[in-house]
Amino acid sequence: MAMASVPQPSVGAVVYDMPKQVSLLEDAWRRIRRNRLALVGAGIIVLLFITAFVSIFWTPYPVWLQAVGPTYQTPTLAHPLGLDQAGRDILSRIMGGASITVQVGVGSAIIVSLIGIPLGLLAGFYRGWVDTVISFFINIWYGIPDLLVALILVFVLSDALKLIPRGVFVIILAFSLTRWMDVARLVRGQALALREREFVEAARMSGARDFGIVARHIFPNALGPIIVQATFAIPAAVLFEAFLSFLGLGLPSPAPSWGAMANDGYHGLDFAPHIALAPTIALSVTLMAFNWLGDGLRDAFDPRMRR
Amino acid sequence: MTRGTASYIGQRLVLIAITTVLVSSIVFLLLHQIPGNAFLNETRTTPQSLAASLHHYGLDLPLRQQYANWVRGVLHGDLGESLVNRGVAITPLLLRETSVSATVGFYALLVTIGLGLILGIIGALRQNTWVDYVASSASVAGYSIPSFVLAIFGLLIFGHYFYIWTGGTFYYVPGWGKLEQIPVPALALGLPYASYVARLTRASMLETIRTDYVRTAWAKGLKARVVVLRHALRNALIPVVTILGPLITGIITGSVVIENIFGIPGLGKEFITSILSRDYNIVIGVFTFYAALVGLANLAVDVIYPVLDPRIRY
Repeated sequence: MAMASVPQPSVGAVVYDMPKQVSLLEDAWRRIRRNRLALVGAGIIVLLFITAFVSIFWTPYPVWLQAVGPTYQTPTLAHPLGLDQAGRDILSRIMGGASITVQVGVGSAIIVSLIGIPLGLLAGFYRGWVDTVISFFINIWYGIPDLLVALILVFVLSDALKLIPRGVFVIILAFSLTRWMDVARLVRGQALALREREFVEAARMSGARDFGIVARHIFPNALGPIIVQATFAIPAAVLFEAFLSFLGLGLPSPAPSWGAMANDGYHGLDFAPHIALAPTIALSVTLMAFNWLGDGLRDAFDPRMRR
Repeated sequence: MTRGTASYIGQRLVLIAITTVLVSSIVFLLLHQIPGNAFLNETRTTPQSLAASLHHYGLDLPLRQQYANWVRGVLHGDLGESLVNRGVAITPLLLRETSVSATVGFYALLVTIGLGLILGIIGALRQNTWVDYVASSASVAGYSIPSFVLAIFGLLIFGHYFYIWTGGTFYYVPGWGKLEQIPVPALALGLPYASYVARLTRASMLETIRTDYVRTAWAKGLKARVVVLRHALRNALIPVVTILGPLITGIITGSVVIENIFGIPGLGKEFITSILSRDYNIVIGVFTFYAALVGLANLAVDVIYPVLDPRIRY
């Protein structure tokens, strides 16, 4: 890191210590520890992951089990969040929804990165016709409502063609296929700037192959912005899943998706608002946590913010 | 408008037409991969009536010919005929629905830009006071709450708890078109993006109010209103305008779910209804409209640029 500047003994004979060498992640962690909102966000996310993990093995009631009590029952001690229109325990379903949320969010972030990073690196490093082709896609997709294309993709792949059963995977796939341009655009910009730097030239002079330069010199130096962009892909994917399920085009019925639960509650809003409130609040808090963490990470990785 | 601007707009319009056709072609080809046909789910079909239906819509032609016919139609402004309601021409239907969606979208944009700018400017001018903290934390919370959640809360509050005042204006009304039905959907649609605009405006205002020319303006003894609005804001707006394009795309996407929640008979409601009823011609049509709308919105943004920043010329 550039922080390790040569200490200059000044007139007063104060000897400065050489700052300890820190890696990118250590440095980011040191910064983010001071950002309270980001820490709260990270805390909520840890809680979400734990809930998601627990829900795989145990929920108070099975998420699909109907009539565990009177339908539309408001919160009681036995059912802290009440029961929905089919008498299912809402707390159990919120927990199950956390698992779906984590799967969609993390899965999408990984696949978006897997598509976007290599294409962005290729476009930025080789320029020329490779860049022209990839940039063409980026520019076209930048000007269209991509979530609606993803919606049609989900519909065509699972409902109409019946290629992939309606579920988490097809949602991740459709989201990633329409959203990799975001990551690719960012990585391309980074690669374009980094390939002109001296250390890349030095590596080339020492006989490194293209793959080595990209993998060992360009990619690690672009890692900060990439992590930030991948973090912001998570809330976008979670929102997309909720949006689809709310419209009845997402996960099929007994799945406890927060969007689908919000839709259940929407129909009984005037006499049982608790059904809609639980999933919408869970969703909003989750999105907020990821946005706070993302903002914190951006500040932590942004070199212009360095002390 | 100079001749350069006019020819620039002309070129862009041609590009928009090409992009629109390209993008909706993807949807056209995707939907035409579906095996069987649109009439499989209909009861009481005889082989003869099925063949007649297919022939009526030109679905018995080879795909290449169907596509050529469709492209020719789009370029002439004809999007074909509804598969579910025979005889209903799609273009006039969608034009009517666009005007409904555009009304709501316009007010949503007004909320987004108006509220966003006001909150952003106040936050920047009163930096690190309680006003700034309230405005900043409201916008941090605001852009995380999706518009459909806001819509559900809005419906609950204004449609249910304040039922006596609103008298069922939003709740299960068959009719649409009264002015008092617009504010709640427009707020639900606009608020998340307003928070985003507020954050951006605050950041860029903080930069401009520290510049030399703003200090000069204060030193000359200009009125605060003139300094803030004419000197500082005008330059602070440039980064804000750059996100108008993605913002309009976001509002269009959001309108799909908002229109379904409030029962607004616009493009978004038609989009979902036609997907669920498998009226593929309308799905393709709505998408063509969306692609064109996003293109035109981006063009409008690019035309605003030189007004704010005279260095940009076309």
